[in-house]
Amino acid sequence: MERADVAIIGGGLVGCAAAWQLARKGASVVLIEAGDINAGASGQNAGSLHFQIERRFLENGDDLAEQGAQIVALSRHAVTDWATIEGDLAADLHVAMDGGLMVAETAEQVALLERKAARESHEGLAVRTLDGEQARTIAPYLSPGILAANFSADEGHADPRAVTPALADAARREGASVRTATRVRTIERDAGRFRVEGEGLALSADQLLVAAGAWSTEICALVNIHMPLYPVALLMNATERTAPMVPHLVQHVGRRLSLKQTHAGNLLIGGGWPSRLAQTPNGGFDLSARAQMIPESLTGNLLAARDVVPGVTQLNLIRSWTGVTAISSDQLPIVGPVPRVPGLWVAAGGSAFTLGLTFARMLADAMTGGDADELALLSPARFEHLNGFMG
Amino acid sequence: MADLQHFDVAIIGGGPAGQAAAVALSGHGLSIAVIDEQPRPGGQILRQPPARFAVQAWLEGRSYAPLKQLLARFQALSGITWLGEHSVIGVQQGSVMAMGPEGVTTISARHILIAAGCQDLAVPVSGWTLPGVYAAGGIQAFLKGQQLLVGSRVLLAGTHPLQLLIAAQIVAAGGTVAAVMFAQPRSAMIGALTKHPLAALRRAPDLLATAGALRTLARAGTPVLFGAKIEALTGNDRVSGAITNQGQVACDAVGLCYGFVPQSAVPRMAGAQMKPAGPAGGWACVHDEWMRTSVPGIAAAGEAVGVAGAAAAAAGGSLAGIAIALDLGLIDADAADRAARQPRRALLQHRAFAALLDAAADPTDHFPKPAGDTIICRCEDVDHATLTGQVSAGGSANAIKLATRCGMGACQGRNCEPSLLRMIAETGPGSDPGFTARFPARQVSIADLLPPE
Ligand SMILES: Cc1cc2nc3c(=O)[nH]c(=O)nc-3n(C[C@H](O)[C@H](O)[C@H](O)COP(=O)(O)OP(=O)(O)OC[C@H]3O[C@@H](n4cnc5c(N)ncnc54)[C@H](O)[C@@H]3O)c2cc1C
Ligand SMILES: Cc1cc2nc3c(=O)[nH]c(=O)nc-3n(C[C@H](O)[C@H](O)[C@H](O)COP(=O)(O)OP(=O)(O)OC[C@H]3O[C@@H](n4cnc5c(N)ncnc54)[C@H](O)[C@@H]3O)c2cc1C
Repeated sequence: MERADVAIIGGGLVGCAAAWQLARKGASVVLIEAGDINAGASGQNAGSLHFQIERRFLENGDDLAEQGAQIVALSRHAVTDWATIEGDLAADLHVAMDGGLMVAETAEQVALLERKAARESHEGLAVRTLDGEQARTIAPYLSPGILAANFSADEGHADPRAVTPALADAARREGASVRTATRVRTIERDAGRFRVEGEGLALSADQLLVAAGAWSTEICALVNIHMPLYPVALLMNATERTAPMVPHLVQHVGRRLSLKQTHAGNLLIGGGWPSRLAQTPNGGFDLSARAQMIPESLTGNLLAARDVVPGVTQLNLIRSWTGVTAISSDQLPIVGPVPRVPGLWVAAGGSAFTLGLTFARMLADAMTGGDADELALLSPARFEHLNGFMG
Repeated sequence: MADLQHFDVAIIGGGPAGQAAAVALSGHGLSIAVIDEQPRPGGQILRQPPARFAVQAWLEGRSYAPLKQLLARFQALSGITWLGEHSVIGVQQGSVMAMGPEGVTTISARHILIAAGCQDLAVPVSGWTLPGVYAAGGIQAFLKGQQLLVGSRVLLAGTHPLQLLIAAQIVAAGGTVAAVMFAQPRSAMIGALTKHPLAALRRAPDLLATAGALRTLARAGTPVLFGAKIEALTGNDRVSGAITNQGQVACDAVGLCYGFVPQSAVPRMAGAQMKPAGPAGGWACVHDEWMRTSVPGIAAAGEAVGVAGAAAAAAGGSLAGIAIALDLGLIDADAADRAARQPRRALLQHRAFAALLDAAADPTDHFPKPAGDTIICRCEDVDHATLTGQVSAGGSANAIKLATRCGMGACQGRNCEPSLLRMIAETGPGSDPGFTARFPARQVSIADLLPPE
């Protein structure tokens, strides 16, 4: 049977970045991907590098906002990871960090922006609060209806089409073995090791990292562990290409909106509008089938885009797509070792495009004997109560 | 976006299949919307000139007579809402989104029939992006719809016998055809036809009017060549010639004619189960004996279920119409079976002939070889060499789309998908389901998608 120090399940950004980082440290790594590299959320997402506290943390009261503020500490690491990744991989990933605006259209939203900025500066993230005029000075494409904005100079975007494949290439260069079209079917624990099997695969590994995005719950179930991650299907929209008009990442503090212009010139419009997950014939969600667009999400998203960047109405929509990602029961990502099963690690949930490089780097440290203090907030240990009868 | 409109039945496509379905559904007092991108009904085969043109002797041929009768019956129906100049951009169970001159409308309907027809297979070869190079069907559409000749010396090349008919129509309209080049040897074509001589003899004239076409071309002195393969199309700012294995040919327009593929964007977006459509590539809807697709409430007929010619499309359309009447409880099972007998028989016959034609026209071994720098995806400028690299690394069509942008442009991969899937198929067995279909089927102005103020 083939042996490895680490088996990684999932060929998305998180799995590929972890494979690269672990292989760089000299570990023997086998990464197993059911389909193609980048076929999951990592290739379908909006590519936002957002370091300000996300709207989803702000809309449900103070406790959650407090957690969001704690993530800011990780975001500061992510800024550095993104600023250096193209050099480290010697690849053009269309990383643009020309700043990001989170805008407000109402007085309440302006107040929310101010509270948010206060939390952020408390956590050491530099954010400026601009009034509408100031915002339009640096971002003339913004609507006159914008009353204020938070500006973070480091925010931006990168090309989801390029990042994960480049990480997989880098992992291979460092000696990792990358298996595509190989679905993991069973995982057995055997004398402290993990026996991972699938079509054409029989592998024994010291440690196992589950980086299977929305599928991570299923993979953990193979080890008889509960992982409270829930699939969500989101909508993305792309316009035709147009001349450069939006150099920033644009988000909204009170509405679902993210908007940016890609390297190629298309505007990408998203922001977390729901789509309908496909169902299996026996009930339950079918993550392998395409999620269905909800027409109200499309109009809602385009309205938000129009109200913030009126120029979008001059453009054609060329594509809307749906992608599936995972959210945990407390909204925070789940990253770290699973106490009940020594050697088992998980990294899933949350905005793991922005934070994925950072998760992978920190995990690789922890998995090779370093500490994982900075990931403590995200540890799977917080769900240990669910696994009292499992393992 | 305008308000919701409700109908009992929405038919997408006003060609023979859509017309026949509407005729079969008439007399029950149903509200029926027929949605088509073209301003007037007729579909691909009876593409009507604009109403303001008074065209003498429009599509006179004998083979068009039954189709013209069907069109006349359709146009005389009451209870039909004709939504011409409306492109369907999205379909889900129970609803159709269409973009028309007044913006985007959503139409709700208990039953939806997809009868969107087929399109020319786009075939890349060095020089095919030069102005003056068309899909042969495009040339015919200009002729039928606008009585327009695309050049003064047209070269037709490919494997599909339809190019004979198009050549004859060009000659009849006063144009010159440089040559009609079949890439396959004469034996391959004749061989397929002589295997089933009766079916071929009985049906050839009305489907293709080939005999008449050949006579017309002979009178005009137009060479019809076999085993003549295009290697490259040449020209500076417009095509001026072709390099072939039988020498160079001067021309100022080229029609490429390697076959037809169903318009599959709409059913795929709706989630209908699809199957490979035939040797030319593309995807056809899987359907039951009543033309129902795998999605409840959505049926398909005509070329949407496989390219089999206008008569088969009309027969399938009738069947779909009868089935919808059955499903709505307007007729009972016995009545439906009785009504279906004739169209079923016709469908069977026409499909047998279509299979024969598929074999005769089979382009599989006769596609031109693109050069490394030949553009395969025209929307996103992705060349053959780039795709070759990706294909040999073993990615799926979706993965290659993500990596290269091939198929990511405005046409949604309608044109490049068959080329890419052929490249993937060459690397070994296994079937690739192609690109995931996405909204919208045609690009649409964002302003039109917004609700009215
Ligand atoms: C529409 C959308 C927009 C988003 N926008 C942003 C954004 O702007 N910024 C941001 O930070 N985040 C964003 N996200 C979230 C982000 O995309 C994800 O958090 C991130 O990509 C997760 O990466 P991953 O590697 O964990 O998972 P994935 O990329 O989903 O990879 C998981 C992989 O595991 C594989 N797998 C599953 N089961 C098995 C098995 N049994 N055996 C082997 N392999 C298996 C899958 O095939 C898949 O490739 C967005 C998500 C979506 C859907
Ligand atoms: C160029 C060409 C030439 C042909 N010549 C012949 C021939 O000589 N003899 C023969 O038997 N067959 C021929 N065919 C095949 C011919 O299309 C069919 O036999 C017949 O017209 C099929 O009928 P249908 O109803 O399935 O589709 P069609 O007649 O093609 O009708 C489909 C209609 O749907 C509309 N449509 C498609 N997509 C959308 C959308 N998204 N939104 C709104 N409307 C839409 C189209 O505008 C079209 O009017 C030809 C096909 C092509 C492409």
